[in-house]
Amino acid sequence: MILRTSKRVLAADSAAAVIAAAGVFVAFSLINSHFLTRLNIDGIIVAASISAITGLGMTLVIAMRALDLSVGSIMGLAAIIAAHLLGEGVPLGLVIIAGLAVGCGLGLINGLLITMLGLPSFVATLATLSMILGVELLITQGQTISIHNIGFNKLVVTNIGGFLPVAAVVAAAVFAVVWLIFHRTPFGRHVAAIGGDERAAVGAGINIMAVTIGTFVLVGFCAALSGLMTGAQLQNVDSTIGANAELTAIAVVVVGGTSLTGGRGNLFGTVCAAGLLAAIEAGLNVVNVSSLYDDLVFGGILIIALMVDGLRRGSRRRGTLVT
Amino acid sequence: MAPTEEDPLVADLGVKGEEAPGAAVPALRASRLCKSFDGVEVLHGVDVELRSGEVHALVGENGAGKSTLINLLSGRLRPDAGHVELNGQPVEFRNPLAARRAGISVIAQELEVVPTLTVVENVFLGSEPTKFGIVRWRDARRRAVNTLSELGLDADPDRAVGAMGVADQQLVEIAKAVVGQFGVLIMDEPTSALNLEEVERLFRVVRRLKADGVAVLYVSHRLWEVFDLADRVTVVRDGNLIFTKSIAETNIGAAIRAMLGSKSSLVTDVAQVGREIEREVAAARQGAHRNESSVPERSEMGRAAPGRAPRSGDGQGPVSDTPEGNKRPPAVELEGVHSGSLLSDINLTVHDGEVVGLAGVLGSGRTELCETMCGLRKVDTGTIRLRGVRARLREPKEALAHGVFALSEDRKSEGIFGHLDVRENVVLNFDAARGERMPADAASNPVRAWAGKAAVLIRKTGLTWVRARAERRAFDSARASLGIRCSRPDERITALSGGNQQKALFARAALTRPAVLVLSEPTRGVDVGAKEEIYTAIDGFAGEGIAIIVSSAEISELMRLAARIYVIRNGRIVAQVAREEASEEQILRYMAG
Repeated sequence: MILRTSKRVLAADSAAAVIAAAGVFVAFSLINSHFLTRLNIDGIIVAASISAITGLGMTLVIAMRALDLSVGSIMGLAAIIAAHLLGEGVPLGLVIIAGLAVGCGLGLINGLLITMLGLPSFVATLATLSMILGVELLITQGQTISIHNIGFNKLVVTNIGGFLPVAAVVAAAVFAVVWLIFHRTPFGRHVAAIGGDERAAVGAGINIMAVTIGTFVLVGFCAALSGLMTGAQLQNVDSTIGANAELTAIAVVVVGGTSLTGGRGNLFGTVCAAGLLAAIEAGLNVVNVSSLYDDLVFGGILIIALMVDGLRRGSRRRGTLVT
Repeated sequence: MAPTEEDPLVADLGVKGEEAPGAAVPALRASRLCKSFDGVEVLHGVDVELRSGEVHALVGENGAGKSTLINLLSGRLRPDAGHVELNGQPVEFRNPLAARRAGISVIAQELEVVPTLTVVENVFLGSEPTKFGIVRWRDARRRAVNTLSELGLDADPDRAVGAMGVADQQLVEIAKAVVGQFGVLIMDEPTSALNLEEVERLFRVVRRLKADGVAVLYVSHRLWEVFDLADRVTVVRDGNLIFTKSIAETNIGAAIRAMLGSKSSLVTDVAQVGREIEREVAAARQGAHRNESSVPERSEMGRAAPGRAPRSGDGQGPVSDTPEGNKRPPAVELEGVHSGSLLSDINLTVHDGEVVGLAGVLGSGRTELCETMCGLRKVDTGTIRLRGVRARLREPKEALAHGVFALSEDRKSEGIFGHLDVRENVVLNFDAARGERMPADAASNPVRAWAGKAAVLIRKTGLTWVRARAERRAFDSARASLGIRCSRPDERITALSGGNQQKALFARAALTRPAVLVLSEPTRGVDVGAKEEIYTAIDGFAGEGIAIIVSSAEISELMRLAARIYVIRNGRIVAQVAREEASEEQILRYMAG
């Protein structure tokens, strides 16, 4: 079993992300001993967990050959609503449920727009992205809302047993659930089938509408969860939370080895890529590269990942001819 | 449903058993079905009735309405008028899912497998066996392997379907339809990519399903298959029902006549053709299955249209088949070509105006050989010479630049652009400026060479104006000369019948003014009438001096078209026979080894 798993990991499309993540950790630790401090590692784990959760949802969306550009704004709105409700004295449990419900609801709206109106997901979610941002601004009036709920913060950053932040546990749970859905349920197969060949999926009697809506609800849920965690971590929320997070989410999916051409998805790779990107960001900070360069580096990584994906698809195509 | 351990296959091929009692009630009955597209009615009130435990053949030319009828029965389209009854109950399928749930399983004409998913995932797509919502992959894998081995496919169930050959994909497609529960099976051209042995296995499965009480609707262009397998046959023409008869009451000649209608004057000796095919079927039934694919369409086609084809059945081409005394080097020459483990030591020559055939079973290397010539496959050692000059064809565009135009055997995914209209498809490679090639002396004059290269580069980037009028003219003349039947030039190409799509691709080829044409399965999925038109077009191309290579699974087609036939087996050319000296049987024997 262990042998099979490790074999699969090495043979899988995620191998590049795993190796790169390991390499980055080693390299930064050698360059600067501060990289391996507890504080820094915790920061990496929390950041990676947050981007991994949205990325996991996005993996299914991309496997379905769709895109969700609204995840960043969903993160922001979930965090803002949570902050607002906490300010009104609503109990923490209800606040979390409300935040997640908002994510699911927005995912449902995305799914309905795509299936009922037949809009391309790219366009539909670009529109909702803009609208959600508008709602955020109306709620915050452009101001920052502070969260004064220590419990909320602890739910994310507390180290279990002194070393493992709760965020990582949450991310692991999300990974397990999404993995089960993707690999062990008909729904998951249908997501991949739609991404692989939609016409064939229709012919096989798959309910395209239900699967599409379900996938967007799932990614909405994941994004809202990431948003809540971001809010809890930062304690101060405004409408910039989740800005550009859709690009991060797409990047971790692609860097993780999921092809933008759909039909397959690599959840483990997504998690590794989230770790890789978080490590690079923290590492650059530790070695005193200004965070102004982050976006530049990030874009470069994305291009490399897309190149690798392109090469892989090329060789696969040639491989098809050879067999 | 738990398949029994003794014979899981029977359970896999299981049937909803309830429809038997009232034998009078047909499993599926469609009455007066009508369907229009864009205001044009293509189906004018067709009735068809499938009984449990029968194989019902549906035949007709391309464009006769077969596919529309099937799409109506399987929920892909909804009828404008008329109704469908399933086991006596009126039903209205809103989508394929509803039809499938009601027990109608469909093998689509075009492969409907998801390339990125594995074999087992494809076989159970949409009908995954689950327990508490979790797919039981182990169970699924076992059942998929059983069903596939019954069909003769010994494949790794965890292999991605996209990495398999077309024939194997087709078997996966069939397996997909026959697992699970159903009372009606609709098979639309299930054998187009299969070899004889695979067809035989498929027939065994169909007969088993029939014995189990499934109603099978079987669509095929191969009439011998129909008359071998079916109990009753329904003929449609131009959206009308011509007749439904039991096989005993009719014969192939009558079926062809009914399919062609007034056009049957094309086939002057229909009765003769019918008799020959029937003799063939009789021979096939007696177990001489090796010769089956040699449906004597050669004689049918050869004599069918005197005066239409420049080359009628006497075997003498319009252009000299003998290259002697021809000082021009051959248009194509392959010498000692190797490619991977699939092609070894291929030597082949094609002269201007010559049609050369490639025969070989699936997997023999026939497809791969065509790929080397059109730049899709790497040549490891050996040389390809075009008109005596060594050419390196690393990409199709290089082949095209050398005047080699190839038509893929997979028209839908590698030929047409389904989202474009007919004219756009035809003029795709049309370059109004072609012919303004670099002058021969340009090479010696650096300035002119640079200017010429720059001009070519600009043209290649497509940074020139679309010459709309030239394109229209080119399209109109190609449409007229090839007889492409479409209502308007801006009709979507997918709305055309297979034969007309193929003619559009021929028109595309013609507009590139090729020196060499590589045609793979030029008449796959094309009906009898259009087939002859395509043969005529190929003859016409040869008459213009184009060197043509035809690769086909139908030996009769090669005998009809080609002066010489190369037989390829296990990646080697094992024989080269002249048409006059060869019999189909002999070629089959070379193919089988």
